[in-house]
Amino acid sequence: GANGKEGKSWKKFQSYKGEAGLPREVETLRIFVDRKAQTVILPIHGFAVPFHINTIKNVSKNDEGDFTYLRVNFQTPGQLAGKKEDTPFEDPDATFIRSVTYRSTDGHRFDTLNRQITDLKKEVNKREQQKKELAD
Amino acid sequence: MTTQFDRIYHGLSPESGKFRVAASGMAWKAEETENVNAMSSTDIKWARWLRVARGFQLRVGLKDRRREAFDGFERDDHDKLAGLLKQHFAVTLETEDISFRGWNWGVTDFRGDELAFVVGNKTSFELPLQYVANSNIAGRTEVSLEFMAPSDSAGKKPSKGQPDEMVEIRFFVPGQSTRARGSDA
Repeated sequence: GANGKEGKSWKKFQSYKGEAGLPREVETLRIFVDRKAQTVILPIHGFAVPFHINTIKNVSKNDEGDFTYLRVNFQTPGQLAGKKEDTPFEDPDATFIRSVTYRSTDGHRFDTLNRQITDLKKEVNKREQQKKELAD
Repeated sequence: MTTQFDRIYHGLSPESGKFRVAASGMAWKAEETENVNAMSSTDIKWARWLRVARGFQLRVGLKDRRREAFDGFERDDHDKLAGLLKQHFAVTLETEDISFRGWNWGVTDFRGDELAFVVGNKTSFELPLQYVANSNIAGRTEVSLEFMAPSDSAGKKPSKGQPDEMVEIRFFVPGQSTRARGSDA
């Protein structure tokens, strides 16, 4: 039914099996959206850190003076209760990354990234929704 | 005899250079500027190998607890480098496993001047705490770290093609409130 009695169980997902899976673009130390792997790769102090789209809640962009800020918000427990509060977590007691914010003088590129991440999220949600409907 | 590796970066530097290994020590020299970073053989204590954004990183621990990092090595450089380190400095090149799972949950681990985020026993990334400009605790379960952007201090107008600068990261730490509620201790 649309409103199951017990919580859903956590379904395993992962971005890459090993380092060789990382796309070459990470060398630029810039944010990269890998649609094939359903993953957004963030540069964090020299590391290329993949985040599967399932971990991402949404993304927001705003302009301040010469800079554009892009903020990636992640799924974490303890967020405002809503219909989605049944989102299962593998380990609800772990430490979660809740958000990461970047800035750039290249507003156009952040515009594109904002759109790419939002589109990928929509795409995955839609597919999830279709699966659910088929299961019902 | 000297062995040279090309297109190597010192830390997060944008400029690449040459990295040389000889019996007397190791040194990095920038291609265009006169920047040099040298480590003499008697100072080299340990060496680690890990995957980063710009290829592989050689991390070197020195006698005075200083650490140096060099990015840009290729996967195939590992064996050659491991051999040289063993031969010249009697140091074993240890591999540090990095997580590529794509998860946003794990544990934080303080390692000297770095705060590491560890996913399934593998390092996901490290944050150098000396670049933290401000930190904040909100509602006992959220910790935010603000970083000085490199271009702030450089004073020059950043150009296109520059790396993206992380300015803030927020962690959700549920344990701090649930422990207080959940345990009798």
